[in-house]
Amino acid sequence: MIARGAAAFLALALAGCAHSSMVLLPDEDGGHGQVAILESGGKATDAVVNDANSRATLGGAQPSIRPVGALKPQEAALVGDLPPPAKSFTLYFLEGTTDMTPESAPVLDELRAEIAKRPGADVQVTGHTDTVGSDTDNDALSQKRAEEILNLLASKGFDRLIMSAVGRGERELKIPTADNVSSPPNRRVEVIVR
Amino acid sequence: MVRGPLFLALSITVIASAASAEIARVKSTSGNAIVQRGANHIPAATGQALEAGDWLVTGKDGRMSLTFVDNTRFAVGPNSRIAVSKFEYDRTRQQGSFVTQVDRGSLAVVSGKIAKSGRDAMQVRTPNSLLGVRGTRFIVEVPK
Repeated sequence: MIARGAAAFLALALAGCAHSSMVLLPDEDGGHGQVAILESGGKATDAVVNDANSRATLGGAQPSIRPVGALKPQEAALVGDLPPPAKSFTLYFLEGTTDMTPESAPVLDELRAEIAKRPGADVQVTGHTDTVGSDTDNDALSQKRAEEILNLLASKGFDRLIMSAVGRGERELKIPTADNVSSPPNRRVEVIVR
Repeated sequence: MVRGPLFLALSITVIASAASAEIARVKSTSGNAIVQRGANHIPAATGQALEAGDWLVTGKDGRMSLTFVDNTRFAVGPNSRIAVSKFEYDRTRQQGSFVTQVDRGSLAVVSGKIAKSGRDAMQVRTPNSLLGVRGTRFIVEVPK
């Protein structure tokens, strides 16, 4: 009787104590990653959730991992609340200048539209050069290119507080080249909109 | 292409500025949702900047979403209490480490550059488990 009573008590305790869980979802591009359960119930584990649409119940010494069908409504709502992914834009420049190439003008328009449709946007502007000229000059030129874009955006009414501009000189070439090589793809400003 | 002391100095500047300030921005919020920073309880607002150590706290009708500077995205569900206990990110090298603590409630995550920068560089702690995030989208739920 005592053993049966203890078992019943245990079953009740387990039912009453909802467990933490983790649901691994497919990535937005269709693939999926992994989540390792490094510790569960105070003990190290080597369990890894490998399959998308799996639910791991956490807290036991041996976490249980099962396939999930449809998400619960509150889970689907939560996933629906995720902000859109960051989007990046690249604008190109004429050699040695802060003048955009004519082809980049429409990209600037797309960039403005993207910022405008994102509440609470954060805009990171990074300038780059090719390898023509000294490192010092290129640091300055890349910074000016980034600031040129930031100023253009500010002139269209975007708050400077949501934007930052930094120049990386010739350190991060898009297309690797030797020193003192003129390269249109390397003369660029990259903008990330979050 | 000379990578001398200037390069080093610039790198250090970038790391220092990344460590000090903004780590994320609030993208949406509804209902009772606050950011707790030390003793301050700040109502969550769209566009608000977050700092490492902030707690995200929602009531029974509260929700908020945010995007971090490494492109990680969060959606926080109702009745949640979640801390960004650690967030270190070097924008130049795109490396860092990120620890989130979910005391209760629900959190959806799409991991970003930090999770890609090293094995288990991004971790999520619940009261009874520790998860290592290896580049993915997932939900964590911690019932009361």
